[in-house]
Amino acid sequence: MNLKEIKELIEFLKEQEIAEFELERGDVKVRIKRAPDSNVQAQDTRIIAVQTPGPLVTDNSAIAATSPPAATPPKEPTVKAEGPLHTVRSPIVGTFYESPSPGSPPFVKPGDVVEVGQVLCIVEAMKLMNEIESDVAGEVVKRLVANGQPIEYGQELFAIRPKT
Amino acid sequence: MLAPALKGTIFAEHIHHYYKIGSTNTQAMEAAAAGAPAGSVFLAEEQTAGRGRGAHRWYSARSLGIHCSVILRPSLPPSEVLILSLAVGLAVHDAVREIDSRVEADLKWPNDLLIEGKKFCGILTEMNGEATRVRHIVIGIGINVNQAQFPNELQSTATSLRLATGTEWSRVELCMALLKSLDREYQDLLHGAGARDSILRRFQERSSSVHGRAVSVEENGGFQGITEGLDARGFLRVRTRNGLRTVLSGTVRLE
Repeated sequence: MNLKEIKELIEFLKEQEIAEFELERGDVKVRIKRAPDSNVQAQDTRIIAVQTPGPLVTDNSAIAATSPPAATPPKEPTVKAEGPLHTVRSPIVGTFYESPSPGSPPFVKPGDVVEVGQVLCIVEAMKLMNEIESDVAGEVVKRLVANGQPIEYGQELFAIRPKT
Repeated sequence: MLAPALKGTIFAEHIHHYYKIGSTNTQAMEAAAAGAPAGSVFLAEEQTAGRGRGAHRWYSARSLGIHCSVILRPSLPPSEVLILSLAVGLAVHDAVREIDSRVEADLKWPNDLLIEGKKFCGILTEMNGEATRVRHIVIGIGINVNQAQFPNELQSTATSLRLATGTEWSRVELCMALLKSLDREYQDLLHGAGARDSILRRFQERSSSVHGRAVSVEENGGFQGITEGLDARGFLRVRTRNGLRTVLSGTVRLE
């Protein structure tokens, strides 16, 4: 995970009014907690802990410093925003397609509620169309890649808020 | 009619034959999701909604071609199954040569088969699985066998085995040869040592366009270059003005 990705993640958490977020990927563990009210100074997003053997540690201060100050006080987190997000990853290298064929409606869009086993997208490699299913039931919060984009093995495709 | 000849292959037990169907791949995917066994074969005399990649259609006139889909359930992670896409093209190549060794079929990456630059076979593979496990794969193979002519819009790009050789072919005979060669490729990939290397090597031997050929690729905004063989995963390498690029999935057009 690089600096840009972390910034995007923080922006995304703000957008969605998510109060707390934890991510573990290999050796990297990121936990982000947003201050619950506006009394906290300029900064409304803090990284509580980052553990990684990679260069991320040195980026840590930079992220905190470059986080834009909150223009408005953060709103109270809503009930539905609680709990960590689940990410669905690609099992293969390939090209991401949001719909079964060009021009047809996407399999899912943010806000949709999906079941376990529901097809989210197709990843194509060598004319092999791989249906990617959701491995959790919940709400699709965000699509993390663009239609037609080449993606890597293990790349995150969707963020889903699991049904509790 | 096919079953006895396929004894000993995974395709001997569950052959479904339809006179008219939307698409054998759609039928096979639905059957697979409902628990149909590995090795199930779906054949149709006519497809009313034969599918290709993306929104492409497969012209499937009645009783002239082979429209065949099979269900496989390999115990491999999805990332190791991709090369099957190349192996299926090889299986068709071998089957055609087994029936008539005069046919000079040419593979175009990843698995179109051409004769004198015109396509006579297309393959579409669909997979359903989890990150570490394939649940099922459906391989759809369309072969133009006995078409004497094609609709105007296909005439410059499509051919059939009959048009290429001047003789009628037995579809049953070809289909049997195909299912046998597909079984061989599949068993090799599952159990054979060095199967992946063998697939890469044979593909490059049977494709005139995988090395040193000017191509344009639709993928990722589109680009042009000269082909430079396959990488270890089976992806096509193309040398462009801006360096070497790897084609993952896009349609490759020969220039």
